[in-house]
Amino acid sequence: MQVNRRTFLGSTAAALSSLALASAFTGKAFAQGADTLRIAFSARGLRSIDPQDSVQGVDAWAIIAIHDKLVDLPRWHFPKTMDELVPRLALSWTSTPDAKKWSFKLREGVKFHKGYGEMTSEDVKYTFDRAIDPKRGNGVLAKFTNITSIDAPSPYEVTFNLKDPDPLFPLGVLSDNDGCIMSKKAVEEKGDKPIGTDPIGTGVYVCETVATDPGQGVTLTANPDYWDTKAATPKLQCLYISDTTARTLALLSGDVHMIEGVRAPGWADSMKQRDATLIFDVVSPGSFFTIQVNTTKKPFDDVRVRQALFYAIDRDEITKSLAPVSKRTYGLNPPSFPGGFTDTTVPEEIAYTYNPDKAKALLAEAGFKDGLSFKADTSQREDFQSIMLIIQDQLRRIGVDMQLNIKDHTAFHGDQYKGTNTLSQQSMALPPVPTQVLVTYLAAKEEVKSDGSGGRNMSHYGVAIPGVDDLLAKALGEADLNKRLELVQQIEVKALTDAVIFPVATNGFLIVRSPKVDLGFPVESGYVNWPLSQAKFV
Amino acid sequence: MARYLALRLIDTIPTIFLVLLLVFMAMRILPGDPAVAVLGDMATQEQLALFRERMGLNDPLWMQFIHFVGGVLTFNLGSSMTNGKDVVGLILYNLPYTIELTIVAMLMGTAVGVPVGVMAAKHRNKLPDHAARAFSLLGYAIPDFYLGALLLITFALNLGWFPTNGGGDGFIDRMYHIFLPALTLAFVKAAFIGRLTRTSLLEVLSKDFVRTARAKGAKERRILYRHGLRNALLPLTTGLGLSMLATLSGSVAIELVFNRPGIGKMLISAIAERDYAVIQGGVVVFALMVVAINLLMDLLYIVVDPRIRMA
Repeated sequence: MQVNRRTFLGSTAAALSSLALASAFTGKAFAQGADTLRIAFSARGLRSIDPQDSVQGVDAWAIIAIHDKLVDLPRWHFPKTMDELVPRLALSWTSTPDAKKWSFKLREGVKFHKGYGEMTSEDVKYTFDRAIDPKRGNGVLAKFTNITSIDAPSPYEVTFNLKDPDPLFPLGVLSDNDGCIMSKKAVEEKGDKPIGTDPIGTGVYVCETVATDPGQGVTLTANPDYWDTKAATPKLQCLYISDTTARTLALLSGDVHMIEGVRAPGWADSMKQRDATLIFDVVSPGSFFTIQVNTTKKPFDDVRVRQALFYAIDRDEITKSLAPVSKRTYGLNPPSFPGGFTDTTVPEEIAYTYNPDKAKALLAEAGFKDGLSFKADTSQREDFQSIMLIIQDQLRRIGVDMQLNIKDHTAFHGDQYKGTNTLSQQSMALPPVPTQVLVTYLAAKEEVKSDGSGGRNMSHYGVAIPGVDDLLAKALGEADLNKRLELVQQIEVKALTDAVIFPVATNGFLIVRSPKVDLGFPVESGYVNWPLSQAKFV
Repeated sequence: MARYLALRLIDTIPTIFLVLLLVFMAMRILPGDPAVAVLGDMATQEQLALFRERMGLNDPLWMQFIHFVGGVLTFNLGSSMTNGKDVVGLILYNLPYTIELTIVAMLMGTAVGVPVGVMAAKHRNKLPDHAARAFSLLGYAIPDFYLGALLLITFALNLGWFPTNGGGDGFIDRMYHIFLPALTLAFVKAAFIGRLTRTSLLEVLSKDFVRTARAKGAKERRILYRHGLRNALLPLTTGLGLSMLATLSGSVAIELVFNRPGIGKMLISAIAERDYAVIQGGVVVFALMVVAINLLMDLLYIVVDPRIRMA
């Protein structure tokens, strides 16, 4: 048939009309089954469902649905005492008086998915032997460095031998998603890397598919043989939608039921305006946003200049701007952590209550009566950028001109880890182990190096100026919890008085959900992932 | 014809080599350590060193480049550094979505743009011409990602006529999912093609042979289409080729806005995560697609212009 202009145009018009009509009549191809709870996260895709390989926080949602831990948090908040910890695969535990040996009795009759047999101490030992194996090259090894070895004296008993005393050991890695128990048989059979996309656990959900398309993500099916309360919703789907607009629209259109929120000023309010019935769950502390001052760069080698900056930063203004995600913190450990200072217990000398006049006076004393100017880098990521732009404005009020260079997030950290930044920023979620944040940021051995081979002590504390290493060593060697917490607080007071590090805020993890979804429990504090096994449609 | 194609293909080899070299060097110059991007902030120096060793990042640059080129030649582009997936598999999954988006957008853009351009040329300086030019201006002025978001909010969210994200399954579902993203890209293409058609057609219509045809009493419609548009096809083909290349690169933003799978979205993620293997593989694919489109245009010239066929 010879195609002429008229035929061509007519066919095209007909085809387009048909498509439009077909669209109208086929209806929403994405209509949700009521048996699938869909949650979308801000990520470009799944990294791994291997508990020891995933360094992407949002992967943990699938990890904790597929696997179980030895112990868990009470739903859903960090425990005030160790007695609140919930036995899961471990029924009970004891420790030696020096808190260097912890023994756990395991639950019997718990089965791994897909016929991989019963969970025994052999699987627990294998899991943690794998976690502490330096040859594996996993990113979470640092969390397990205190474990020297694991013994399995009987099929339902396991013992952890620690390098240093740890009176909070069960609350550390064992209750975090990195401590999820894996099947030795499954890992050996499937392979060390393939297990990351074909996981086998004992959890309330079984991994059904891991799609190549991040928009389809991971689909989980309820485990019919689960040893505890079965899942309230037959299927759970974890999707990855990095674009904020696309993710927001997916929730508002009903494509998904829950989404990871955006940690930017005004976002939550705009969502409430769009749909007042949406429910906002924020778990704190989430990430600790801290600023470290580079004491090797003038004039920040002068403690008065550093303290002036701290008095000039209005943290209440910052947390109000980023509400409901952002909350005040008063020390390096947040209020919900053991030993964390609160608004009533924080010593006055380190409270750094907003006081621009005092800031100006300190600057004048240091010889900067007319203010000063300096350069700093920050990341384009919404939480970093928002906070630093607010701080820039606040510093301007006392005559300090901070010229911000906003960089791509990976490049920002890459440069920062070489010690190039004047005011280094970190936003890291840590388990409720009070010494961890101190070791990470204040230990001399963690000093940042110009070739990137150092740690995260960006202020050069303990190297450029005297630090707290002796107190840290004492704290890490202290088996008594109360004495350890006292030492932790002493360290915080010293470091904050020296003004090398400033705890700006904790930025909680925000999940926005449809009112049709009932989680089954209130979310207060805890890790930035919470179990969805009891979530159901109402 | 076969010889012509073979020669054209050989011509592209230096271009592709240059692209490989540039992307390889760009990745190494880009700040940010892929080891930290993959293993996270808590990784120890030992773990980071082990990762770099395993990924061959400690090898001399020339050795890494040879490895990379060798991989391209043997279709072994390695595995993703972040999730271990085979890069060729990732490309094979995402490429069809990008291709279908590009083709559908081009078809829609051409189907609208050419008639608009013809109408504008036929009614030069009258209302249809002014309307067509306003349409072109609008198409150029609105950024495609902004238009995409507007269409999403209006037709997907508020009216619920289309899905808000995804690529779909099965032919009808994929066409359903592709409509809004393709429309977004097509709007800009239609503006460009319409303008180009108008200009080319007006130029042809001012030629002597058209005046002769009119003097001989040929109907206006015959003059417009058989003499005018047919001869305007050559510059239009060039424009279509350029437009298709622009659509291909424009698909990156659209894939992000509409959360569609595709090579562009895959590349953006890989760049943010410093996943060298995926970036290199993705750029190679893009380079090959550009080469393929240019070849296609060359073939179209042969079809459109008999003089090239005879030469």
